[in-house]
Amino acid sequence: MSAGGVLMETVRLTGGYEGRKVLDNVSMKVHMGEILVIVGRSGCGKSTLMNHLLGLVKPWSGEVLFEGADIWSDSAALARARRRWGVLFQSGALLGSLTLIENVMLPLEEFTDLSPAFRMSVAMDSLGKVGLDRFADAYPLEVSGGMQKRAGLARAMSLDPDVLFFDEPSAGLDPVTSAGLDDLILTINRLSGTTMVIVTHELPSIFAISDRVVMLDSSTHGIIAEGTAEQLRDSNDDDRVEAFFRRRAPGDDGGQDVS
Amino acid sequence: MITRRMDGLLDVEAAAELCALVDSAGPGSDPLLIDLSECTGFETVALAMLVQALMEARNRGADVTTTGAQAELASRIESLTRDAADYRKPAKPGGFRHGMIQIGEKVDSMLMTLKGLAVFASGTFRAVARIRTNPRLLRVRQTLYYMEQAGVDAVPIIAILCWLLGVVLGFQAGYQLKNFAAETFMPDLIAYSMTWEIGPLLAAVMVAGRSGSAFAAELGTMKVRQETDALTVMGMDIWSYLVTPKMLALMVVMPFLVLLADFFGLLGGLLIGGWYLDMPAHVYISRLALVVIPMDIWWGMLKSLVYAVIISNVGCYMGMRVRGGAAEVGRATTSAVVTSIFLVIVADAIISLIFVFIRPTVTV
Repeated sequence: MSAGGVLMETVRLTGGYEGRKVLDNVSMKVHMGEILVIVGRSGCGKSTLMNHLLGLVKPWSGEVLFEGADIWSDSAALARARRRWGVLFQSGALLGSLTLIENVMLPLEEFTDLSPAFRMSVAMDSLGKVGLDRFADAYPLEVSGGMQKRAGLARAMSLDPDVLFFDEPSAGLDPVTSAGLDDLILTINRLSGTTMVIVTHELPSIFAISDRVVMLDSSTHGIIAEGTAEQLRDSNDDDRVEAFFRRRAPGDDGGQDVS
Repeated sequence: MITRRMDGLLDVEAAAELCALVDSAGPGSDPLLIDLSECTGFETVALAMLVQALMEARNRGADVTTTGAQAELASRIESLTRDAADYRKPAKPGGFRHGMIQIGEKVDSMLMTLKGLAVFASGTFRAVARIRTNPRLLRVRQTLYYMEQAGVDAVPIIAILCWLLGVVLGFQAGYQLKNFAAETFMPDLIAYSMTWEIGPLLAAVMVAGRSGSAFAAELGTMKVRQETDALTVMGMDIWSYLVTPKMLALMVVMPFLVLLADFFGLLGGLLIGGWYLDMPAHVYISRLALVVIPMDIWWGMLKSLVYAVIISNVGCYMGMRVRGGAAEVGRATTSAVVTSIFLVIVADAIISLIFVFIRPTVTV
């Protein structure tokens, strides 16, 4: 997908938890229609960055701009932005007391004036897109982890968001299911042009779906590399980047090529 | 005829504009034609909004039509229209038969719970018996921890509540007895009701609410996070690790909480006796000494042991049978409190009957 103008941006973002700095002066842009993948080793601040982007954890300083408005200084801008976002959390985060179709209908009930018949139809359509229309009446616990994630994706997509955020979409999934989810993400992006911001450290997924990759590292609390996955793997001098993309311990000459 | 052409992407904003136009159409108004031939794409919700508005307008008798929709768009409009027409509100089951089935299911579920609870409690007692042969299974640190949680931390609330209850009981008894010039018997009434019933029962209710629910929530969360499975595969005796410390802790602290409840309840009566009935403290106390026998006190403490067994086992059982997620933990917590209080009152009724028969009569 060719990237358009800047949709979202962080400007000198610094943040962390309880006095422990995790991100320092992080500036990055998310372009319209692209699949941006945020990568890095465990503890580098990927999820923290995601939480700042989603307006869940307030940064210590800096700005998170969505269409030019800082979501952290303007609560109305954050509320508006959230109506246009969809989020797939690591666990799917489906409500256990609701069936899959009820989970998908939840945002439709909350934010649209559609009648129950139309809500049902739209939700079934969303579930159909992720291949779960046959499981509409199942409860989250009655379906597999991969299906829960797909249902979470259907819920995230139900309001036709402009941006979809994914927190470790492949976590806990077998390679086949994970590849299926990657295909689904690509299909949605290609068909609807939805901008996607994905946090992951699954190398096969990174190579399969990313248009652009931003790599964070805990040593600098910030971005150490930016580019396509292939650029970062093949033409980067930074040992930390190479180690990550060649899947080897830093300083080790060996490693595996994953692409 | 009014014709409105839709260009580009049919998003929510564009749909809202079209819907406003469609909503303004009525039975007598000019026919409205929406030309979708230049529509390059659509958002699902936006299209649903438009189709809903179109159907509502047609139902009002307005002449509104669409034209020029490309294959995918036309097919989606058709499927939305069909889905909406076919939609039937889920029927709510009702009627006598359904009501009877529901009652039967509830009773069955309650009996199954009681059966499960009995099996669980037998497991707890077997675990306690194992401590005799293997003293290492007595988790002293955990038991002390739960003694603090369930006992020491509950002292202020039980003391305050029982004191207040003593005040209220004393006031109401005094108010009635005054009519018969029998207010000197107010201490008798306070003494019997506090030591026989209210002290032990209120302590049990408070412990069930505080600790029984906490036990259920703790074990339920552990089940959800597979911590209990982890303990099992490590070869640990989860009964002695998770359940018996809680039961033993309650069995140690409950009698003392009952003693505390009795004391503060009687103290409340003392206050109201002095303030409302002008009864000097020494009169109130000497009356108590006349009517209360040691058995009144220790019987209450003794039955609190039964309550401790009930509350700890029900709390742990409800927690251990959690399957699923956070909502289940909440349900287990509620069930733990309700079932504990229910069983405590059933046990209390039985024990009180026995007490009435074996207590020696006190003649004053």
